[in-house]
Amino acid sequence: MKLAIAGKGGSGKTSISGTLARILARDGHNVIAIDGDSNPNLALTLGIPAERMSDLPTLPRDLLRRTPEGVQLNQTLEEVCDSHSLRGPDGVTLLVMAHPQHAGTG
Amino acid sequence: MHATVRSVIEASGDTPKDICILDTEASPEHLSRGTAQYADAMLAVVEPYYKSLETGRRMSLLAKDLGLPRVALVANKVRDERELEAVTEFAAKHDLEVAAVIPFDERMPEAERAEAAPLDHAPDAKAVAAIGELAQQFSGNGRGNGRA
Repeated sequence: MKLAIAGKGGSGKTSISGTLARILARDGHNVIAIDGDSNPNLALTLGIPAERMSDLPTLPRDLLRRTPEGVQLNQTLEEVCDSHSLRGPDGVTLLVMAHPQHAGTG
Repeated sequence: MHATVRSVIEASGDTPKDICILDTEASPEHLSRGTAQYADAMLAVVEPYYKSLETGRRMSLLAKDLGLPRVALVANKVRDERELEAVTEFAAKHDLEVAAVIPFDERMPEAERAEAAPLDHAPDAKAVAAIGELAQQFSGNGRGNGRA
């Protein structure tokens, strides 16, 4: 199940995303939570302390390649997660698209 | 960044055990760039006032245009019957599904101020329970509604 959560800033979408991710992980799912916001703060609602975010390397710019089938990742998602994600409470894998240090204040 | 988000979602696992949750950008614009193209469902989180509902409606239309199998509103911070009615009336008028109603709960902003996860800070909060019910709709473990 691939689930996109949208909403205005302040609507509570990030609290809902983080809580859904944690509950579904407790339920026995393999959960990848992707922070696609340019002002990322999904980590906090997942229960990952801000200090740990500084350990997270920025996603490389050359992550995509063009193929006849369209644009694809040039490594497996597992490889991307191995090097560029954090493991949070209940085993949720967090992948942050825009690095906090390159975005606005949290 | 939009193409990367799209490709990551495309590459994420497809078994009932796999869940991929994308917390999208706050502006509806990203949806027209197809960030959520490979999602099975999009939930637009709305608050019970007109501007928020209207943004939710715009986001829902964009997601339906992308051909997502399920598009629904999640009403958040709902304080009373009157607010609930405002949301359900708006949804009915625009032919939108309301997947969940999450009550206003002071313990949610409280968790935010404490820089903690709602699930750790206030595990017994009403809002957390409502999100738990929503989660069951997407659970592949047979306790949901079979949409996973």
